[in-house]
Amino acid sequence: MSRVRISSVDFMSSFEEIEHTADRAFRVRGRTLAELLENAALAMSAVDGLKPGAKPSITREVKVNGVDRETLLVNWLNEILYMEQTRGEVYDRFHILEADDHHLRAQLHGGKSSSTVSQIKAATFHNLEVKQIPEGLEATVVVDV
Amino acid sequence: MVSEHNLVRVAEYVWEIPATFRDDMRVPARLYADEDLLRAALTDNSVVQLVNTATLPGVIKHAIAMPDIHQGYGFPIGGVVATRLPHGVISPGGVGYDINCGVRLLVSLAAVEEIKPFLEEIASALYANCPSGVGSRGPLRLSNSELDGVLHEGARWMLGKGYALREDLDRTEEFGRIPGADAAYVSARAHERGRDQLGTLGAGNHFIEVDRIAEVYDEAIAARLGIYAGNVAVQIHCGSRGLGHQVCEDYVSRFQKTVRDYGITLPDRELVCAPFDSSEGQEYFHAMACAANFAFANRQLLAYLIRRSFEQVLAGRVGDFHLQQVYDIAHNMAKVEEHNIEGHQIRVCVHRKGSTRAFGPGSSVLPDDLRDIGQPVLIPGSMGTASYVLVGTPGAMEETFGSTCHGAGRVMSRAKAKKLVHGAELRQQLKSRGILVCAGSMSGLAEEAPAAYKDVSQVVEVVDRVGIGKKIARLEPMAVIKG
Repeated sequence: MSRVRISSVDFMSSFEEIEHTADRAFRVRGRTLAELLENAALAMSAVDGLKPGAKPSITREVKVNGVDRETLLVNWLNEILYMEQTRGEVYDRFHILEADDHHLRAQLHGGKSSSTVSQIKAATFHNLEVKQIPEGLEATVVVDV
Repeated sequence: MVSEHNLVRVAEYVWEIPATFRDDMRVPARLYADEDLLRAALTDNSVVQLVNTATLPGVIKHAIAMPDIHQGYGFPIGGVVATRLPHGVISPGGVGYDINCGVRLLVSLAAVEEIKPFLEEIASALYANCPSGVGSRGPLRLSNSELDGVLHEGARWMLGKGYALREDLDRTEEFGRIPGADAAYVSARAHERGRDQLGTLGAGNHFIEVDRIAEVYDEAIAARLGIYAGNVAVQIHCGSRGLGHQVCEDYVSRFQKTVRDYGITLPDRELVCAPFDSSEGQEYFHAMACAANFAFANRQLLAYLIRRSFEQVLAGRVGDFHLQQVYDIAHNMAKVEEHNIEGHQIRVCVHRKGSTRAFGPGSSVLPDDLRDIGQPVLIPGSMGTASYVLVGTPGAMEETFGSTCHGAGRVMSRAKAKKLVHGAELRQQLKSRGILVCAGSMSGLAEEAPAAYKDVSQVVEVVDRVGIGKKIARLEPMAVIKG
């Protein structure tokens, strides 16, 4: 797979969009699991390209569980999509308050969505593995559009 | 990766990867393609994904890929996998997030020349009346019991509410209702996401398209379906919306543990599955059937909204603009079917992920008036190209568990398409070719550019020549409505 770099702020906040024929994919990293989860949410938000409408002032708190880190990651991204699509909101900042391999508690910050529509149906488990790398953790996520 | 050297040509358009290719394969994998389409398939991970599906417990005969194969997540898009019941598995990822994504085709006896002066008005009415976008809301607000009615009854629920004609149901796969639905296995979240989404199109590659019937290849069969060259047709391509996405999410997530409980080892976690006859497998099947029924009802309500749009614009201006249903097919589904395998009738669970059921003449599940010609098969092309109507064949019954292709198949990533194509320019180009486009998102439009897809005519030519589908008619677009 060839890589398309769409953000390169610094190593741990960067993500790369990976070419995928039918859907969208991105590689994210984090020094900790919490940072990986936050960066994955930011990457999904960037790939979707949605921005909250004027005066983003909404904060939501969510709790997510999973049988392992991969399931936690997918469930977290799908929780964000569920919240956005059922509440008509868009989140662009994510704050993991606590996380271990099986649970997380997080805040989503954003606002009401404008008329632009989300293209993402769901985050998938396709070839998903949260890998240990020298700098921390890395994962590649495919989202269904 | 898989290369051309790993494939054995077993017939002119049939390629096989032997089960010895990888230790975990339980059956060979077969790919239907001409040489061009095969090369296209080998450029991404789609053939590896095909090989992965040949490892599923209970898989029988071959794991199959159609000529429109492209890379998906878990299964390749364009994949067909049958597992032997009762113990073979059912895989939620093998159906996908858009459960019963499918196509409905309506035709009119009105000629293109009669409708054309009003085309812009029709496109505007369709865009206004048929909500689009991932989170869009439809015209109905359903109570809990009404929503469960939809999940259990599918398009039939719409008959009682005046949104369907009886003949629409006769011309729908499974007559618009998959058996086995039980809303008790659909989560509260899935209910919540689906409650106000009936009659909505969604985003991505979903569309409503006003077409002209450009060419008829078999006049006798086409006439039986109400298809005549030069007349107007309308296609609907969409699925089960947020309800289906949530059902898939719920079970793919839950089955991450289920596969461990059953000691199932898989090459990709998106392929998670459960034995069909296990409690987990049955629960998913009950929930999937609900989502499938929701999708049939969704396309039915959209058909009603389309008919109303035609009425709004054309009443008193054009003679016979009534839209009659040709058929409605699913192309993301797992179904319990009986197939003849090496002389034995065997009960299987057929996963079609981007593949269309294509039952041939004589099939007992077809309505009486179609049984002698076979099941209509609807193959939408990429925006601005062409779409096809086929019928199912004996060849499909013998070779591919009564399945054929489902569309053009992508060759270019969405990210690349967005880089190379400007949505507004594409809309202008299509307009200059006489194709009107109404789209909620210009970047979404760019992702669906015709250049991002294979040539649907080439795909259909392969299935026609192989004999797993028979070409009946070609449609060309005049107006496209997208999310």
